Amino acid sequence: MAILETQELTKAFGALTAVNGVSLGVEAGTLHSIIGPNGAGKTTLFNLLTGTFPPTSGRILLDGRDITGTPAHRVAHLGLARSYQRTSVFPAFSLLENVWVAAFATGRSWRGLAWRKTERYAEVTARARQALADVGLGGKADAPAREISHGEQRQLELAIALAAAPRVLLLDEPAAGLSPEETRKMVALVRSLKGRYTIVLIEHKMDIIMSVSDRISVMHFGSLIAEGTPAEIQKNPEVRRAYLGGVAA
Amino acid sequence: MNRPILLLLAAVLVLPIVVRPAIATEIWIFAIFGLGLNLLLGYTGLLSFGQSTFFGSAAYVAGFLLKQYGINAFLALGIGVGVGAASAALVGYLCVQRSGLYFIMLTFALNQLFYFIAYQWTSVTGGEDGMPGVPRPALAGIDFTNPLVYYALVSVLFLASLWIMKRIVESPLGKILQAIRENPVRAEAVGYDVPRFKLLAFVIGGAFSGLAGVLYAMLFGIVPLEAIGFVFSGNVLFATLIGGSGSLYGPVIGSFVFIWLSESVSTLWARWPLLLGVAFVIVVLFLRGGVVEAWSRVGAKFGSWRSSKPKS
Repeated sequence: MAILETQELTKAFGALTAVNGVSLGVEAGTLHSIIGPNGAGKTTLFNLLTGTFPPTSGRILLDGRDITGTPAHRVAHLGLARSYQRTSVFPAFSLLENVWVAAFATGRSWRGLAWRKTERYAEVTARARQALADVGLGGKADAPAREISHGEQRQLELAIALAAAPRVLLLDEPAAGLSPEETRKMVALVRSLKGRYTIVLIEHKMDIIMSVSDRISVMHFGSLIAEGTPAEIQKNPEVRRAYLGGVAA
Repeated sequence: MNRPILLLLAAVLVLPIVVRPAIATEIWIFAIFGLGLNLLLGYTGLLSFGQSTFFGSAAYVAGFLLKQYGINAFLALGIGVGVGAASAALVGYLCVQRSGLYFIMLTFALNQLFYFIAYQWTSVTGGEDGMPGVPRPALAGIDFTNPLVYYALVSVLFLASLWIMKRIVESPLGKILQAIRENPVRAEAVGYDVPRFKLLAFVIGGAFSGLAGVLYAMLFGIVPLEAIGFVFSGNVLFATLIGGSGSLYGPVIGSFVFIWLSESVSTLWARWPLLLGVAFVIVVLFLRGGVVEAWSRVGAKFGSWRSSKPKS
């Protein structure tokens, strides 16, 4: 059964229909990629899924439950966490503090919210440290986020999403702006998360997509034009025309 | 106990010997006011230019009840905290959805609204003349009309306020507010209702302002119209920025500098606000962290000089 599903999801900004009647089903435990040229509506789709703004029409279902129109801060508590294409961390915080606030948000209880010292939330801190370790930043827990490299910030970006202990992880171009070497590390990282989380991945780099995805959906001008396994997508003539163009022919 | 706390205790004991008790008292009252502002300014990143709304409202309401109905001093303080929090809830509710310049201007505009209510409602507030005759009732045989006894009360309340604020900023709430300051979009995405938390910061800040307002009214026996005007809102902002908005103790140091300058230097030199202006320019251009940062920079210099000395 699909853990995350959209039905005829549409978002219009004035005359521009950024997402147009998208019906998508993400199976639990799989890595489902969304590809498409720049401006195809992929990030807008993520913004709809995470409640950044409500859709113009259509529905979003999580575990069969309608979550359409749920505001972003509530969606996080339902088990949907995202990372951003443009790094979005808390610059003045240490790496541990960055993931700690995310871990606390979805923690079991907010008791002592305004009174208990943060050090006394051992369970939250343990989860935060685990998230850092999962992305390979365990050794830099006390470094300020603004002083680490771009590659490490991309890892931190992912760790903040992981710290929420989500059921579905939405990754928006985790390898954006990374060097080939850093990209290889990021791909290995995403691969290591496969199976532990249901992952929806937006990515531009075709080699990454083809090597890690279980299923691929292709977006073009806001609409879904194809869906299938990596092998099926590679063979699909319409996809070649729309997205791969002459490059992969 | 750590060093800042010991220094503060020493300052509390020594201050009334160094300056007149009334000035010493005013310093700690203003520090409470600054603590409340700094939760918004330093921790949440919200520049409120209307803090005197809460300070003044509490001073008027509690002052009026003290004067007309002779209520108990502690009840008056409690009412002040309540009025401060309630007025902050109202103002916060209208402001938290705005950001940047609009937010600042809205806090200012609402402050002006409260100011003109106080200005017009002369039968209660006395308008331009202020509301005189606020008593300092004795409690359990303790006579607060003695300046040093009142100083002791204010000092205890100040230390308690500081302790409470320290707990708040070291709690998850403190972290969440700072996360909102750093990146509100991400804070929302990881699961925090950002406007709600901003409102909470307003209410807590308002409660502190309200306490300060009542203590101020009882100190001078009058609620002047300025207590709810924009000059007071500006003063507490100035003091906090000069002290350093980035730290818990910044507003305390800022309050000391500000009140001490305004009370001591103003008798020697009528153009004293010029000094304040110079201090403010220095802070904005070179020392964003205010006096607290200056102190830690000097400390770091001194420390490295000491450690670089060859060991014999």
